[in-house]
Amino acid sequence: MSLDTLPRTARTPRRDHPPGRRWRSRVDVKAMPYVLVSPYFLLFAAFGLFPLAFTLYYSLYDYDLAGTTEWTGLGNYAALLVDEDFWNAVVNTVGMFVLATVPQMLLALFLANALNKRFRLRLAIRMSVLLPLVTSVVAVAVVFTQLFARDWGLVNYILSWFGVDATNWRAERIPSWLAIATMVDWRWTGYNAIIFLAGMQTIPRDLYEAAAIDGASRRRQFWQITLPMLRPTMIFVVLNSTIGGLTLFSEPTTFYNGNVDGGSQGQFQTVAMFIVKQGFREFDYGYAAAAAWLLFLLILIGALVNFLVVRRIGGTK
Amino acid sequence: MTNWSPTVFTRVMLGVAVLLSAFPLYWMLVIASRTNADAVAVPPPFLPGGNLGENIVAVLNNEDAKFLLGLTNSFVVASIVTVSVVIISTLAGFSFANLAFKGKNVLLLLVLLTMAVPLQQMGVVPLYRLMVSMEWTGTLKAVILPYLLNGFGVFLMTQYTRQAVPMELVEAARVDGAATLRIWWNVVLPAVRPGMAVLGINTFMLMWNDFMWPLIVLTPDNPTVQIAITSLNARFSTNYTLIFAGTALSIIPLIAVFVVFGRQIVGGLMEGAVKA
Amino acid sequence: MLISKRRGMAAATALAAATLAVASCGSGSGSSEPTSSGPVTIRVQTFGGGSNFGYKNAITKWNAEHKDIQIKEEHLTDQFEQQYWPQMIQWLTSGTGAGDVVGIDEGGMGLAKAHPEWWADLKEHGLESRKADFPAWKWENGVTADGKLFGLGTDIGGMSLCYRKDLFEKAGLPTDRDEVGALWPTWDDFLKVGQQFQAKVKDSKWADGTNTLYQVVLYQEAAKNGNVTYFDQQNNLIVDKNAAVRTAFDFAQKLTEQGLTAKLRNFTDEWAAGIQKGSFATLGCPSWMLGAVSDNAGEDGKGKWDVASVPGGGGNWGGSWLAVPKQSKHPKEAAMVADYLTQAQTEASIFTDFGNMPSNVKAQQDPAVQSAKNEFFNDAPIGEIFAKSAASLQPVFLGVKHAQVKSAIESVVQGMDDGSVAYDKAWQQLVDDAVKAAG
Repeated sequence: MSLDTLPRTARTPRRDHPPGRRWRSRVDVKAMPYVLVSPYFLLFAAFGLFPLAFTLYYSLYDYDLAGTTEWTGLGNYAALLVDEDFWNAVVNTVGMFVLATVPQMLLALFLANALNKRFRLRLAIRMSVLLPLVTSVVAVAVVFTQLFARDWGLVNYILSWFGVDATNWRAERIPSWLAIATMVDWRWTGYNAIIFLAGMQTIPRDLYEAAAIDGASRRRQFWQITLPMLRPTMIFVVLNSTIGGLTLFSEPTTFYNGNVDGGSQGQFQTVAMFIVKQGFREFDYGYAAAAAWLLFLLILIGALVNFLVVRRIGGTK
Repeated sequence: MTNWSPTVFTRVMLGVAVLLSAFPLYWMLVIASRTNADAVAVPPPFLPGGNLGENIVAVLNNEDAKFLLGLTNSFVVASIVTVSVVIISTLAGFSFANLAFKGKNVLLLLVLLTMAVPLQQMGVVPLYRLMVSMEWTGTLKAVILPYLLNGFGVFLMTQYTRQAVPMELVEAARVDGAATLRIWWNVVLPAVRPGMAVLGINTFMLMWNDFMWPLIVLTPDNPTVQIAITSLNARFSTNYTLIFAGTALSIIPLIAVFVVFGRQIVGGLMEGAVKA
Repeated sequence: MLISKRRGMAAATALAAATLAVASCGSGSGSSEPTSSGPVTIRVQTFGGGSNFGYKNAITKWNAEHKDIQIKEEHLTDQFEQQYWPQMIQWLTSGTGAGDVVGIDEGGMGLAKAHPEWWADLKEHGLESRKADFPAWKWENGVTADGKLFGLGTDIGGMSLCYRKDLFEKAGLPTDRDEVGALWPTWDDFLKVGQQFQAKVKDSKWADGTNTLYQVVLYQEAAKNGNVTYFDQQNNLIVDKNAAVRTAFDFAQKLTEQGLTAKLRNFTDEWAAGIQKGSFATLGCPSWMLGAVSDNAGEDGKGKWDVASVPGGGGNWGGSWLAVPKQSKHPKEAAMVADYLTQAQTEASIFTDFGNMPSNVKAQQDPAVQSAKNEFFNDAPIGEIFAKSAASLQPVFLGVKHAQVKSAIESVVQGMDDGSVAYDKAWQQLVDDAVKAAG
């Protein structure tokens, strides 16, 4: 995960070549690097730069279902900033992200630590914690939606053993977040644990041995050696989860039967769902485009905050 | 080395993790093998029933479900995107890692910046309008094209190539008179194969599970598998056995691949995670 | 290493070329292309719960008789405003995805009418001749301002209450439909009977949720308030001014405040399962709801359900049209199918088979329709209940964005029931959300 981007110096070929070949070779050396990166940048221009620029352009217009289009300047942004529904979506997104990510990271860390021990069936166990990842996201959301059904779901049935009244997981805000966070965590905890495990295995064992000689307990070793040494891996995992979590769409949408409203009152509507609703259910393209820019801003802030948090964890010890 | 043997707590924790990972899939099979009345029964059924075959046949025979088409489409989309992303990223990664050229740092920085932009979410409006104006909505092309761009792939392969291909090797090949592309093929490719595998798996999974963009740009006539399940869910909302048999079908191919290549996938993921 | 170089390069080039080639023809498996030979398939897209438009038998019959034109029904979803219509608008504007014939609920007709460019003109296919088959309002709603005929009437709503006989019996209430109707001359009586019911029956609720009965009251009241609901005839939003909306809302609030609902929203899968499991004893039933109830209840429900009159007067909730989108590759055949599905004979048999009340005047007058009984609903004389009042039904004006506003309002009405909207804030939120949805 090193971020250094310095070029390495390339030495010029020593051997003499015939003139034609030398010319060709020089073109090869000079031009080929650009040719090799060009597919990416051509695609970037077509499907990266173009959409970004046009998202900005669209966001300055007001589109109506009846078919009219009017210049509105920053009107869409101004309207979004005071739109309760938009803020509701932001709160939901951030809320579900936190509710999903914090336990997920902790569980993944402990799971990775457990997976790092020696035991039989190691590969089989590693594979089974990765199993959720190879299922398809909508299929799993369908299953969880059934498990969380109000009248016949297994979750409510089990809760009823403890005298808990049937929860309407799709109507109440916090329960709906919990249900969705469960789906997300089920899917990603094992994957992140495997990534952490890979990071753990690069930590030199003599560090632990030295610590053991000094009388450090296992728990202490985990907090003082494993965690700080895992920092680069954690940055990668957390940034990934941030982008994934803040653009959450599939699970909450399927949880409401493919509907992007996210509950009768938008109890679990995320920003991505808000964008689709505005753009493709109410056909206000300008409003959706403006919301997309604000989502981008949200991701940048989220990534920065997480980066700083992770850097602090075990950083200075 | 007592430090490395698991405690009872660790064993229990691993057991629970394995059970929890498998449970929803088990549940899928329970419902898929029962009747609609069982699916909404209280208490819920805990064991599989005997109707799995029947229910799966019902999904496959259901014209409106478009299930096989969905599976095929997803496979086509995911494969094309995976192959192109891996090739494009490997080429660019080689260039960034092993070759010298002007403006390299600026370009690499640009790649890093694009990584943070969820283009397919951010750009939905113009991308959709583009697809409409090209009359590509409802076609797989519309799903594939925006995903050929993958900044993460270029970044990953740049990092990986840096670690896996020593400069000396590239220079030695250069001295032998090998052209750049040949060096890529003969020297770089064999060395970065594990990185390619990780990128490939990641990309395939991403595409297989892609939902928001296909939901916008495809129609239920020509769905990917995720859209097929969604429309199955909308069209036959109370036919639980049909829906669950469909969802079970949709993940069986993936699990089969996973079981066969499990060792390589786990190994590749771990190696890729460390080197990148 | 050197030996394999050339072969390797060739392979790499081939691979890259193949990738690009495959990518560029990735649209190969595109949507159903019309084939020049063989039968033409006409896709009919519908929505609604249970047997929805009731086309099953009619389509089987057509397909047996017409080898060259085959009808394929695509029932897309149970929900019109939340799912079907937004998706349809997207397909209509983008030019792909819509079927050859599409069903449109009354709530979508305002917008459909405002977009003549979405539709094929059925006059070009000789369907102007159908004018005499329909009441004037049903016909005119399918004609755009510039005179294009785009929609033919399918069904109309009418109004009744479906109730579970077995649950009524359990509660010691009468089960005969006339006696049941006599239990509730007014909506307040309806609530009182509900309380009695729930005092006796513990594991079922009186009504399904707030929504179906809210709609029933709304359309009844609309008839007393100039036949408008959310928009006036000039298309101005009047949610906060129309007494009909407030009355219906107040009733829904009482219903849920008194704990008389199973808190289920119609056309969700929990609601459908509730019908099957007897989670509630009554729901508002326009004619087209009969098929939703019978289909969701299944064979086991046969004879357990019956139909009674509603408190207060009649009204007309719902009813749909069929239109042919301009993007259809077979407008001529599609028009033939739309014509067939709205013929007196077809609409009459749909009524007797499933319950959707014909809008076709000739079908309404058909003795078979007038005397029809519904086997599932304990042989209820649905002909008498629906057909007799059909001719006198008043059309309710619905604005261009009725579907959007309806969806927003229903969410609040439902939100009161599921606890996500506080009772004392509900009315204000209903008004605010309606304003927002009207854009």
